[in-house]
Amino acid sequence: DSHVQYERIGADVTMKCGSMDWDAAVTWTANGTDIDESHLNGSYLILKNVDLTQSGQYACYEGSSWHLKYQTYLRVGTPPREPVLMCRSNNYPKGFYCSWHLPTPTYIPNTFNISVIHGTKEMVCEKDAVPKNRCHIRYLQLFSTVKYKVTLTVTNALGKNFTTLTFDEFAIVKPDPPESVVAKPVPNNPRRLEVSWQNPSSWPDPESFPLKFFLRYRPLILDQWQHVELSDGTSHTITDAYAGKEYIIQVAAKDNDIGTWSDWSVAVHATPWTEEPKHLTTEAQITETTSASTSSFMAPPTTKICDKGAVVGSGAVAVCWTAGLVVAAYSVLFI
Amino acid sequence: PAGDSWGIFTFLCAALCNLPALPALNCSEELGAGQSIQQTYDLTRYLEHQLRTLAGTYLNYLGPPFNEPDFNPPRLARAERVPSATVDLDLWRGLTDNARLAANYRAYSRLLCYLRVLDGQVGTAELRHRLAHFCASLQGLVLSIGGVMSSLGYPLPAGPAGPPAGPPGTAPAPNDFLKKMDDFWLLKELQTWLWRSAKDFNRLKKKVPPAVVTLRLEARGF
Repeated sequence: DSHVQYERIGADVTMKCGSMDWDAAVTWTANGTDIDESHLNGSYLILKNVDLTQSGQYACYEGSSWHLKYQTYLRVGTPPREPVLMCRSNNYPKGFYCSWHLPTPTYIPNTFNISVIHGTKEMVCEKDAVPKNRCHIRYLQLFSTVKYKVTLTVTNALGKNFTTLTFDEFAIVKPDPPESVVAKPVPNNPRRLEVSWQNPSSWPDPESFPLKFFLRYRPLILDQWQHVELSDGTSHTITDAYAGKEYIIQVAAKDNDIGTWSDWSVAVHATPWTEEPKHLTTEAQITETTSASTSSFMAPPTTKICDKGAVVGSGAVAVCWTAGLVVAAYSVLFI
Repeated sequence: PAGDSWGIFTFLCAALCNLPALPALNCSEELGAGQSIQQTYDLTRYLEHQLRTLAGTYLNYLGPPFNEPDFNPPRLARAERVPSATVDLDLWRGLTDNARLAANYRAYSRLLCYLRVLDGQVGTAELRHRLAHFCASLQGLVLSIGGVMSSLGYPLPAGPAGPPAGPPGTAPAPNDFLKKMDDFWLLKELQTWLWRSAKDFNRLKKKVPPAVVTLRLEARGF
Protein backbone atom coordinates (compact mmCIF):
# COMPACT_ATOMS: atom_id res chain seq x y z
CA ASP A 1 0.00 0.00 0.00
CA SER A 2 1.11 3.53 -0.84
CA HIS A 3 2.79 5.80 1.64
CA VAL A 4 4.51 9.18 1.74
CA GLN A 5 7.64 9.77 3.73
CA TYR A 6 9.21 13.13 4.46
CA GLU A 7 12.88 13.44 5.33
CA ARG A 8 15.26 16.35 5.91
CA ILE A 9 18.02 17.16 3.45
CA GLY A 10 21.22 15.55 4.73
CA ALA A 11 19.48 12.96 6.87
CA ASP A 12 20.22 9.23 6.80
CA VAL A 13 17.16 7.24 5.77
CA THR A 14 16.53 3.56 6.43
CA MET A 15 13.63 1.93 4.60
CA LYS A 16 12.26 -1.41 5.68
CA CYS A 17 10.63 -3.72 3.20
CA GLY A 18 7.29 -3.84 4.97
CA SER A 19 7.01 -6.88 7.21
CA MET A 20 9.83 -8.82 5.54
CA ASP A 21 12.60 -10.17 7.74
CA TRP A 22 15.96 -8.50 7.73
CA ASP A 23 17.60 -11.43 5.99
CA ALA A 24 14.94 -11.83 3.26
CA ALA A 25 16.00 -11.56 -0.36
CA VAL A 26 14.50 -8.41 -1.83
CA THR A 27 15.00 -5.99 -4.68
CA TRP A 28 14.50 -2.26 -4.23
CA THR A 29 13.68 0.09 -7.04
CA ALA A 30 13.81 3.87 -7.23
CA ASN A 31 11.34 5.26 -9.79
CA GLY A 32 11.26 1.86 -11.45
CA THR A 33 15.03 1.45 -11.71
CA ASP A 34 16.72 -1.31 -9.72
CA ILE A 35 18.90 -0.11 -6.86
CA ASP A 36 22.36 -1.63 -6.52
CA GLU A 37 22.86 -4.08 -3.64
CA SER A 38 25.62 -1.92 -2.13
CA HIS A 39 22.90 0.33 -0.75
CA LEU A 40 21.27 -2.53 1.09
CA ASN A 41 21.77 -3.71 4.61
CA GLY A 42 20.03 -7.06 4.46
CA SER A 43 16.57 -6.20 3.22
CA TYR A 44 16.77 -2.61 4.45
CA LEU A 45 17.53 0.18 2.03
CA ILE A 46 20.03 2.69 3.42
CA LEU A 47 20.20 6.16 1.94
CA LYS A 48 22.86 8.32 3.52
CA ASN A 49 22.89 12.12 3.49
CA VAL A 50 19.84 12.39 1.25
CA ASP A 51 19.48 15.24 -1.19
CA LEU A 52 16.63 16.58 -3.32
CA THR A 53 17.49 14.39 -6.29
CA GLN A 54 16.67 11.32 -4.21
CA SER A 55 13.00 12.22 -3.90
CA GLY A 56 10.84 9.71 -5.69
CA GLN A 57 8.98 6.44 -5.64
CA TYR A 58 10.71 3.60 -3.82
CA ALA A 59 9.42 0.03 -4.05
CA CYS A 60 10.50 -3.26 -2.57
CA TYR A 61 9.88 -6.61 -4.29
CA GLU A 62 10.30 -10.09 -2.90
CA GLY A 63 13.30 -11.76 -4.43
CA SER A 64 11.95 -14.61 -6.49
CA SER A 65 8.23 -13.95 -6.81
CA TRP A 66 8.52 -10.22 -7.61
CA HIS A 67 5.59 -9.50 -5.36
CA LEU A 68 5.39 -5.86 -4.39
CA LYS A 69 5.92 -5.86 -0.64
CA TYR A 70 6.26 -2.19 0.15
CA GLN A 71 6.02 1.11 -1.62
CA THR A 72 6.68 4.65 -0.48
CA TYR A 73 7.07 8.09 -1.95
CA LEU A 74 10.11 9.78 -0.46
CA ARG A 75 10.03 13.56 -0.34
CA VAL A 76 13.20 15.29 0.75
CA GLY A 77 12.86 18.81 2.11
CA THR A 78 13.50 21.17 5.03
CA PRO A 79 11.50 22.42 7.98
CA PRO A 80 10.22 25.96 7.40
CA ARG A 81 12.34 28.97 8.21
CA GLU A 82 10.78 32.05 9.82
CA PRO A 83 8.20 33.30 7.28
CA VAL A 84 8.12 36.85 5.94
CA LEU A 85 4.86 38.66 6.77
CA MET A 86 3.63 42.00 5.52
CA CYS A 87 0.38 43.81 6.36
CA ARG A 88 -0.85 46.88 4.59
CA SER A 89 -3.93 49.01 4.23
CA ASN A 90 -4.25 50.13 0.60
CA ASN A 91 -8.01 50.59 0.92
CA TYR A 92 -8.32 52.71 4.10
CA PRO A 93 -10.73 52.92 5.86
CA LYS A 94 -12.18 49.63 4.64
CA GLY A 95 -9.56 47.36 6.17
CA PHE A 96 -6.19 45.83 5.47
CA TYR A 97 -4.56 42.76 3.97
CA CYS A 98 -1.64 40.61 5.00
CA SER A 99 0.56 38.65 2.66
CA TRP A 100 3.38 36.23 3.36
CA HIS A 101 5.99 33.96 1.87
CA LEU A 102 8.85 31.75 2.91
CA PRO A 103 12.34 33.16 2.49
CA THR A 104 13.64 29.80 1.23
CA PRO A 105 11.68 26.89 -0.29
CA THR A 106 11.05 23.75 1.75
CA TYR A 107 10.40 21.53 -1.27
CA ILE A 108 7.50 19.87 0.56
CA PRO A 109 3.91 21.03 1.15
CA ASN A 110 3.38 23.75 3.81
CA THR A 111 0.24 24.96 5.55
CA PHE A 112 -0.15 28.55 6.76
CA ASN A 113 -2.28 29.66 9.63
CA ILE A 114 -2.89 33.32 10.37
CA SER A 115 -4.40 34.83 13.50
CA VAL A 116 -5.32 38.48 14.08
CA ILE A 117 -5.90 39.78 17.58
CA HIS A 118 -7.20 43.26 18.30
CA GLY A 119 -7.10 43.94 22.02
CA THR A 120 -9.01 41.01 23.43
CA LYS A 121 -10.90 40.17 20.24
CA GLU A 122 -9.81 37.59 17.71
CA MET A 123 -10.63 38.65 14.16
CA VAL A 124 -10.99 36.45 11.12
CA CYS A 125 -8.66 37.15 8.22
CA GLU A 126 -10.45 35.93 5.09
CA LYS A 127 -8.14 34.11 2.73
CA ASP A 128 -7.98 35.42 -0.81
CA ALA A 129 -8.37 33.00 -3.71
CA VAL A 130 -5.78 34.92 -5.70
CA PRO A 131 -3.02 35.53 -4.85
CA LYS A 132 -2.81 32.53 -2.60
CA ASN A 133 -0.70 33.67 0.32
CA ARG A 134 -2.90 36.56 1.26
CA CYS A 135 -5.88 37.34 3.47
CA HIS A 136 -7.90 40.45 4.19
CA ILE A 137 -9.72 41.95 7.17
CA ARG A 138 -12.51 44.49 7.34
CA TYR A 139 -12.29 47.20 9.98
CA LEU A 140 -15.25 47.20 12.32
CA GLN A 141 -14.03 50.26 14.16
CA LEU A 142 -12.02 53.23 13.06
CA PHE A 143 -9.48 55.32 14.95
CA SER A 144 -8.53 52.56 17.33
CA THR A 145 -5.90 53.12 20.03
CA VAL A 146 -5.36 49.40 20.47
CA LYS A 147 -2.77 47.71 18.27
CA TYR A 148 -3.39 44.79 15.95
CA LYS A 149 -1.30 41.67 16.49
CA VAL A 150 -0.95 39.32 13.52
CA THR A 151 0.69 35.94 13.95
CA LEU A 152 1.54 33.71 11.00
CA THR A 153 2.42 30.07 11.65
CA VAL A 154 3.80 27.83 8.92
CA THR A 155 3.82 24.06 9.39
CA ASN A 156 5.07 21.13 7.35
CA ALA A 157 5.88 17.48 8.02
CA LEU A 158 9.39 18.38 9.21
CA GLY A 159 8.67 21.26 11.58
CA LYS A 160 7.03 24.61 12.16
CA ASN A 161 7.89 28.27 12.53
CA PHE A 162 6.10 31.56 13.04
CA THR A 163 6.39 35.34 12.99
CA THR A 164 4.39 38.19 14.56
CA LEU A 165 3.59 41.74 13.50
CA THR A 166 2.16 44.35 15.87
CA PHE A 167 0.96 47.67 14.51
CA ASP A 168 -1.37 50.62 14.91
CA GLU A 169 -4.23 51.15 12.48
CA PHE A 170 -2.57 54.26 11.06
CA ALA A 171 0.91 52.88 10.65
CA ILE A 172 0.12 50.43 7.84
CA VAL A 173 -1.79 52.80 5.54
CA LYS A 174 -0.06 52.78 2.15
CA PRO A 175 -2.09 53.38 -1.01
CA ASP A 176 -1.44 51.68 -4.35
CA PRO A 177 0.41 53.87 -6.91
CA PRO A 178 -1.62 56.32 -9.02
CA GLU A 179 -3.09 54.88 -12.21
CA SER A 180 -3.32 55.93 -15.85
CA VAL A 181 -0.39 58.33 -15.70
CA VAL A 182 -0.27 60.28 -18.97
CA ALA A 183 2.32 62.85 -20.02
CA LYS A 184 1.80 64.99 -23.09
CA PRO A 185 3.72 67.80 -24.74
CA VAL A 186 2.04 71.21 -24.80
CA PRO A 187 1.77 72.66 -28.33
CA ASN A 188 3.90 75.77 -28.88
CA ASN A 189 5.57 75.34 -25.49
CA PRO A 190 9.00 73.77 -25.83
CA ARG A 191 9.63 73.62 -22.07
CA ARG A 192 6.32 72.23 -20.85
CA LEU A 193 4.89 68.81 -20.26
CA GLU A 194 1.36 68.19 -19.06
CA VAL A 195 1.05 65.28 -16.64
CA SER A 196 -2.24 63.79 -15.45
CA TRP A 197 -3.15 60.69 -13.46
CA GLN A 198 -5.94 59.06 -11.51
CA ASN A 199 -6.44 57.99 -7.91
CA PRO A 200 -5.64 54.28 -7.45
CA SER A 201 -8.86 52.33 -7.96
CA SER A 202 -8.30 50.41 -4.71
CA TRP A 203 -8.68 53.61 -2.63
CA PRO A 204 -12.38 53.53 -1.78
CA ASP A 205 -13.19 57.05 -0.58
CA PRO A 206 -10.95 59.82 -1.92
CA GLU A 207 -13.61 62.38 -0.97
CA SER A 208 -13.36 61.85 2.78
CA PHE A 209 -9.82 60.47 2.71
CA PRO A 210 -8.08 62.62 0.13
CA LEU A 211 -4.71 61.66 -1.29
CA LYS A 212 -1.75 63.89 -1.90
CA PHE A 213 0.79 63.23 -4.62
CA PHE A 214 4.51 63.33 -5.32
CA LEU A 215 5.71 63.74 -8.87
CA ARG A 216 9.27 63.06 -9.99
CA TYR A 217 10.75 63.68 -13.42
CA ARG A 218 14.11 63.82 -15.17
CA PRO A 219 15.43 63.79 -18.72
CA LEU A 220 16.66 60.30 -19.69
CA ILE A 221 20.16 61.63 -20.10
CA LEU A 222 20.46 62.82 -16.48
CA ASP A 223 20.43 60.85 -13.23
CA GLN A 224 19.05 63.49 -10.90
CA TRP A 225 15.28 63.63 -10.34
CA GLN A 226 13.26 66.75 -9.76
CA HIS A 227 10.39 66.53 -7.30
CA VAL A 228 7.07 68.25 -6.85
CA GLU A 229 4.65 67.62 -4.00
CA LEU A 230 0.99 68.29 -4.78
CA SER A 231 -1.61 68.52 -2.06
CA ASP A 232 -4.58 68.18 -4.36
CA GLY A 233 -5.58 67.73 -7.96
CA THR A 234 -4.57 64.94 -10.29
CA SER A 235 -2.61 66.92 -12.85
CA HIS A 236 0.43 69.12 -13.05
CA THR A 237 2.29 71.02 -15.74
CA ILE A 238 6.05 70.80 -15.74
CA THR A 239 7.38 74.18 -16.90
CA ASP A 240 11.14 73.72 -16.71
CA ALA A 241 11.74 70.81 -19.05
CA TYR A 242 14.83 70.92 -21.25
CA ALA A 243 13.75 71.56 -24.82
CA GLY A 244 13.75 68.55 -27.09
CA LYS A 245 14.83 66.04 -24.43
CA GLU A 246 12.89 62.88 -23.65
CA TYR A 247 11.65 62.76 -20.07
CA ILE A 248 10.76 59.97 -17.69
CA ILE A 249 7.98 60.76 -15.22
CA GLN A 250 6.51 58.95 -12.20
CA VAL A 251 3.88 59.72 -9.55
CA ALA A 252 3.32 58.41 -6.01
CA ALA A 253 0.36 58.83 -3.63
CA LYS A 254 -0.15 59.11 0.12
CA ASP A 255 -3.09 59.68 2.41
CA ASN A 256 -3.10 63.38 3.25
CA ASP A 257 -2.52 62.81 6.97
CA ILE A 258 -1.49 59.26 7.84
CA GLY A 259 0.61 56.34 6.68
CA THR A 260 3.37 56.15 4.07
CA TRP A 261 3.93 56.90 0.39
CA SER A 262 2.87 54.41 -2.24
CA ASP A 263 5.39 52.81 -4.59
CA TRP A 264 6.15 54.82 -7.72
CA SER A 265 3.68 54.50 -10.57
CA VAL A 266 4.58 52.95 -13.91
CA ALA A 267 7.00 55.34 -15.65
CA VAL A 268 5.81 57.34 -18.64
CA HIS A 269 7.98 58.93 -21.26
CA ALA A 270 7.34 62.21 -23.06
CA THR A 271 9.26 64.80 -25.01
CA PRO A 272 8.29 68.48 -24.97
CA TRP A 273 6.89 70.02 -28.17
CA THR A 274 9.55 71.17 -30.61
CA GLU A 275 9.03 73.55 -33.53
CA GLU A 276 9.10 71.93 -37.01
CA PRO A 277 11.93 73.62 -39.09
CA LYS A 278 9.47 74.67 -41.93
CA HIS A 279 11.79 76.81 -44.18
CA LEU A 280 14.25 73.98 -44.55
CA THR A 281 11.52 71.67 -45.77
CA THR A 282 10.32 74.10 -48.55
CA GLU A 283 13.85 74.56 -50.01
CA ALA A 284 14.30 70.84 -50.08
CA GLN A 285 11.10 70.45 -52.07
CA ILE A 286 12.21 73.01 -54.67
CA THR A 287 15.65 71.48 -55.21
CA GLU A 288 13.95 68.12 -55.56
CA THR A 289 11.46 69.17 -58.21
CA THR A 290 13.99 71.18 -60.27
CA SER A 291 16.45 68.31 -60.29
CA ALA A 292 13.65 65.95 -61.35
CA SER A 293 12.47 68.07 -64.30
CA THR A 294 15.82 69.11 -65.88
CA SER A 295 15.18 66.54 -68.55
CA SER A 296 11.80 68.02 -69.55
CA PHE A 297 11.99 71.77 -69.75
CA MET A 298 8.79 73.44 -68.66
CA ALA A 299 7.73 76.20 -71.08
CA PRO A 300 6.28 79.41 -69.66
CA PRO A 301 2.46 79.24 -69.25
CA THR A 302 1.46 81.67 -71.99
CA THR A 303 3.06 79.60 -74.75
CA LYS A 304 1.50 76.52 -73.22
CA ILE A 305 -2.05 77.91 -73.44
CA CYS A 306 -1.70 78.44 -77.17
CA ASP A 307 -0.10 74.98 -77.53
CA LYS A 308 -2.88 73.20 -75.63
CA GLY A 309 -5.36 73.90 -78.37
CA ALA A 310 -6.92 70.40 -78.09
CA VAL A 311 -8.34 71.05 -74.54
CA VAL A 312 -11.49 72.84 -75.68
CA GLY A 313 -13.51 71.83 -78.74
CA SER A 314 -12.89 74.84 -80.82
CA GLY A 315 -9.75 75.04 -78.72
CA ALA A 316 -7.20 76.42 -81.08
CA VAL A 317 -9.42 79.29 -82.05
CA ALA A 318 -10.51 80.15 -78.45
CA VAL A 319 -7.04 79.88 -77.03
CA CYS A 320 -5.34 81.96 -79.65
CA TRP A 321 -8.20 84.35 -79.30
CA THR A 322 -7.07 84.97 -75.72
CA ALA A 323 -3.60 85.76 -76.96
CA GLY A 324 -5.08 88.11 -79.52
CA LEU A 325 -7.03 89.89 -76.76
CA VAL A 326 -3.84 90.47 -74.88
CA VAL A 327 -2.24 92.01 -77.96
CA ALA A 328 -5.34 94.13 -78.51
CA ALA A 329 -5.26 95.35 -74.91
CA TYR A 330 -1.60 96.22 -75.31
CA SER A 331 -2.25 98.22 -78.41
CA VAL A 332 -5.07 100.11 -76.68
CA LEU A 333 -2.54 101.18 -74.04
CA PHE A 334 -0.39 102.80 -76.69
CA ILE A 335 -3.22 104.89 -78.01
CA PRO B 1 -26.30 95.70 -3.17
CA ALA B 2 -22.66 95.62 -2.11
CA GLY B 3 -23.08 98.28 0.57
CA ASP B 4 -25.56 96.17 2.57
CA SER B 5 -23.34 93.05 2.65
CA TRP B 6 -20.41 95.06 3.98
CA GLY B 7 -22.61 96.42 6.70
CA ILE B 8 -23.64 92.93 7.76
CA PHE B 9 -20.05 91.76 7.62
CA THR B 10 -18.72 94.46 9.95
CA PHE B 11 -21.69 93.96 12.29
CA LEU B 12 -20.96 90.22 12.55
CA CYS B 13 -17.27 90.92 13.09
CA ALA B 14 -17.99 93.28 15.94
CA ALA B 15 -20.63 90.97 17.41
CA LEU B 16 -18.47 87.87 17.37
CA CYS B 17 -15.56 89.72 18.91
CA ASN B 18 -17.77 90.48 21.88
CA LEU B 19 -18.78 86.89 22.49
CA PRO B 20 -17.25 85.80 25.82
CA ALA B 21 -16.55 82.30 24.56
CA LEU B 22 -14.34 83.53 21.76
CA PRO B 23 -12.04 86.23 23.06
CA ALA B 24 -9.17 85.28 20.79
CA LEU B 25 -10.99 85.83 17.50
CA ASN B 26 -9.30 88.26 15.18
CA CYS B 27 -11.89 90.62 13.76
CA SER B 28 -10.14 91.04 10.46
CA GLU B 29 -10.30 87.32 9.73
CA GLU B 30 -12.79 86.09 7.19
CA LEU B 31 -15.79 84.62 8.96
CA GLY B 32 -16.69 82.00 6.41
CA ALA B 33 -17.15 78.62 8.11
CA GLY B 34 -15.16 77.00 5.33
CA GLN B 35 -12.13 79.11 6.20
CA SER B 36 -12.45 78.31 9.92
CA ILE B 37 -12.68 74.60 9.14
CA GLN B 38 -9.47 74.84 7.14
CA GLN B 39 -7.76 76.65 10.01
CA THR B 40 -8.99 74.09 12.53
CA TYR B 41 -7.73 71.31 10.27
CA ASP B 42 -4.31 73.00 10.05
CA LEU B 43 -4.28 73.37 13.83
CA THR B 44 -4.90 69.62 14.35
CA ARG B 45 -1.98 68.83 12.05
CA TYR B 46 0.26 71.26 13.93
CA LEU B 47 -0.76 69.77 17.28
CA GLU B 48 -0.18 66.24 16.00
CA HIS B 49 3.33 67.24 15.07
CA GLN B 50 3.90 68.91 18.45
CA LEU B 51 2.53 65.89 20.28
CA ARG B 52 5.07 63.58 18.71
CA THR B 53 7.91 65.47 20.39
CA LEU B 54 6.00 65.94 23.64
CA ALA B 55 4.99 62.27 23.87
CA GLY B 56 8.54 61.13 23.20
CA THR B 57 9.89 63.31 26.00
CA TYR B 58 7.11 62.39 28.39
CA LEU B 59 7.31 58.64 27.83
CA ASN B 60 11.05 58.77 28.40
CA TYR B 61 10.33 60.59 31.65
CA LEU B 62 7.94 57.76 32.63
CA GLY B 63 10.67 55.28 31.79
CA PRO B 64 10.40 51.65 30.63
CA PRO B 65 8.21 49.92 29.58
CA PHE B 66 6.23 53.05 28.62
CA ASN B 67 8.88 54.34 26.28
CA GLU B 68 9.34 51.05 24.43
CA PRO B 69 7.94 51.11 20.88
CA ASP B 70 6.39 47.63 21.20
CA PHE B 71 4.61 48.43 24.47
CA ASN B 72 1.07 47.21 23.91
CA PRO B 73 -0.75 46.94 27.25
CA PRO B 74 -4.34 45.81 27.65
CA ARG B 75 -6.87 48.54 28.19
CA LEU B 76 -7.83 48.72 31.87
CA ALA B 77 -11.35 49.70 32.85
CA ARG B 78 -10.18 52.85 34.64
CA ALA B 79 -8.72 54.15 31.35
CA GLU B 80 -12.26 54.56 30.00
CA ARG B 81 -12.43 57.97 31.67
CA VAL B 82 -10.43 59.38 28.80
CA PRO B 83 -12.72 60.06 25.81
CA SER B 84 -12.01 57.58 23.02
CA ALA B 85 -11.79 58.47 19.35
CA THR B 86 -12.63 54.90 18.40
CA VAL B 87 -15.95 54.68 16.61
CA ASP B 88 -17.92 52.25 14.46
CA LEU B 89 -17.14 52.94 10.77
CA ASP B 90 -20.71 53.36 9.56
CA LEU B 91 -21.62 55.42 12.60
CA TRP B 92 -18.68 57.76 11.95
CA ARG B 93 -19.69 58.15 8.32
CA GLY B 94 -23.28 58.96 9.29
CA LEU B 95 -22.49 61.62 11.90
CA THR B 96 -24.21 64.95 11.30
CA ASP B 97 -21.94 67.99 11.09
CA ASN B 98 -23.19 69.09 14.50
CA ALA B 99 -22.52 65.71 16.12
CA ARG B 100 -19.11 65.48 14.47
CA LEU B 101 -18.03 68.91 15.70
CA ALA B 102 -19.54 68.36 19.17
CA ALA B 103 -17.64 65.08 19.62
CA ASN B 104 -14.39 66.86 18.81
CA TYR B 105 -15.21 69.80 21.06
CA ARG B 106 -16.09 67.60 24.04
CA ALA B 107 -13.10 65.33 23.60
CA TYR B 108 -10.51 68.10 23.42
CA SER B 109 -12.08 70.02 26.30
CA ARG B 110 -11.74 66.98 28.53
CA LEU B 111 -8.31 66.02 27.25
CA LEU B 112 -7.20 69.59 27.97
CA CYS B 113 -8.44 69.23 31.53
CA TYR B 114 -6.45 66.05 32.07
CA LEU B 115 -3.34 67.52 30.51
CA ARG B 116 -3.53 70.51 32.83
CA VAL B 117 -3.61 68.12 35.79
CA LEU B 118 -0.52 66.42 34.39
CA ASP B 119 1.16 69.77 34.03
CA GLY B 120 0.73 70.42 37.74
CA GLN B 121 2.38 67.13 38.75
CA VAL B 122 5.24 66.77 36.34
CA GLY B 123 8.83 66.78 37.61
CA THR B 124 11.22 68.43 35.19
CA ALA B 125 11.17 72.07 34.08
CA GLU B 126 11.59 71.11 30.44
CA LEU B 127 8.50 68.91 30.56
CA ARG B 128 6.47 71.58 32.34
CA HIS B 129 7.45 74.07 29.67
CA ARG B 130 6.53 71.71 26.81
CA LEU B 131 3.26 70.74 28.43
CA ALA B 132 2.33 74.37 29.03
CA HIS B 133 3.00 75.19 25.38
CA PHE B 134 0.98 72.21 24.22
CA CYS B 135 -1.92 73.07 26.51
CA ALA B 136 -2.01 76.58 25.10
CA SER B 137 -2.15 75.24 21.54
CA LEU B 138 -4.82 72.72 22.54
CA GLN B 139 -6.84 75.52 24.09
CA GLY B 140 -6.60 77.30 20.74
CA LEU B 141 -7.97 74.20 19.05
CA VAL B 142 -10.96 74.03 21.39
CA LEU B 143 -11.71 77.68 20.70
CA SER B 144 -11.33 77.15 16.99
CA ILE B 145 -13.80 74.27 16.98
CA GLY B 146 -16.15 76.39 19.06
CA GLY B 147 -15.81 79.14 16.47
CA VAL B 148 -16.76 76.79 13.64
CA MET B 149 -19.78 75.55 15.59
CA SER B 150 -20.95 79.05 16.30
CA SER B 151 -20.55 80.22 12.74
CA LEU B 152 -22.66 77.26 11.62
CA GLY B 153 -25.28 78.04 14.23
CA TYR B 154 -24.73 75.01 16.45
CA PRO B 155 -24.87 75.33 20.26
CA LEU B 156 -21.64 74.65 22.11
CA PRO B 157 -21.72 71.49 24.25
CA ALA B 158 -21.68 72.10 28.00
CA GLY B 159 -18.13 72.50 29.31
CA PRO B 160 -16.38 69.79 31.37
CA ALA B 161 -17.84 69.68 34.88
CA GLY B 162 -15.69 70.20 37.97
CA PRO B 163 -12.40 72.02 38.56
CA PRO B 164 -9.31 71.38 36.47
CA ALA B 165 -8.37 68.65 38.92
CA GLY B 166 -10.49 66.29 36.87
CA PRO B 167 -14.12 65.14 36.75
CA PRO B 168 -15.56 64.62 40.25
CA GLY B 169 -16.10 61.12 41.56
CA THR B 170 -13.04 59.55 39.94
CA ALA B 171 -10.50 58.03 42.26
CA PRO B 172 -6.86 58.97 41.72
CA ALA B 173 -4.54 56.16 40.70
CA PRO B 174 -3.81 53.91 43.71
CA ASN B 175 -0.16 53.47 42.83
CA ASP B 176 2.63 54.97 40.81
CA PHE B 177 2.53 52.37 38.01
CA LEU B 178 -1.20 52.76 37.41
CA LYS B 179 -0.78 56.53 37.41
CA LYS B 180 1.82 56.13 34.67
CA MET B 181 -0.56 53.85 32.76
CA ASP B 182 -3.20 56.60 32.94
CA ASP B 183 -0.69 59.06 31.49
CA PHE B 184 0.26 56.59 28.75
CA TRP B 185 -3.36 56.13 27.65
CA LEU B 186 -4.03 59.87 27.83
CA LEU B 187 -1.25 60.56 25.35
CA LYS B 188 -2.39 57.64 23.14
CA GLU B 189 -5.97 58.89 23.03
CA LEU B 190 -4.81 62.42 22.32
CA GLN B 191 -2.71 61.19 19.40
CA THR B 192 -5.59 59.13 18.01
CA TRP B 193 -8.00 62.05 18.38
CA LEU B 194 -5.69 64.31 16.39
CA TRP B 195 -5.52 61.70 13.60
CA ARG B 196 -9.29 61.37 13.69
CA SER B 197 -9.89 65.11 13.69
CA ALA B 198 -7.88 65.50 10.49
CA LYS B 199 -10.37 63.10 8.88
CA ASP B 200 -13.38 64.74 10.58
CA PHE B 201 -12.38 68.16 9.30
CA ASN B 202 -11.63 66.81 5.82
CA ARG B 203 -15.20 65.59 5.70
CA LEU B 204 -16.54 68.90 7.00
CA LYS B 205 -14.47 70.84 4.46
CA LYS B 206 -16.19 69.02 1.63
CA LYS B 207 -19.69 69.43 3.02
CA VAL B 208 -19.60 73.09 4.07
CA PRO B 209 -19.26 75.58 1.19
CA PRO B 210 -16.43 78.12 1.70
CA ALA B 211 -18.48 81.29 2.09
CA VAL B 212 -21.27 80.41 4.51
CA VAL B 213 -22.13 83.21 6.88
CA THR B 214 -25.18 82.74 9.08
CA LEU B 215 -27.20 85.25 11.00
CA ARG B 216 -27.99 83.04 13.99
CA LEU B 217 -26.75 85.60 16.45
CA GLU B 218 -30.32 86.19 17.65
CA ALA B 219 -29.82 83.14 19.90
CA ARG B 220 -26.91 84.91 21.58
CA GLY B 221 -29.08 87.87 22.51
CA PHE B 222 -28.11 90.31 19.77
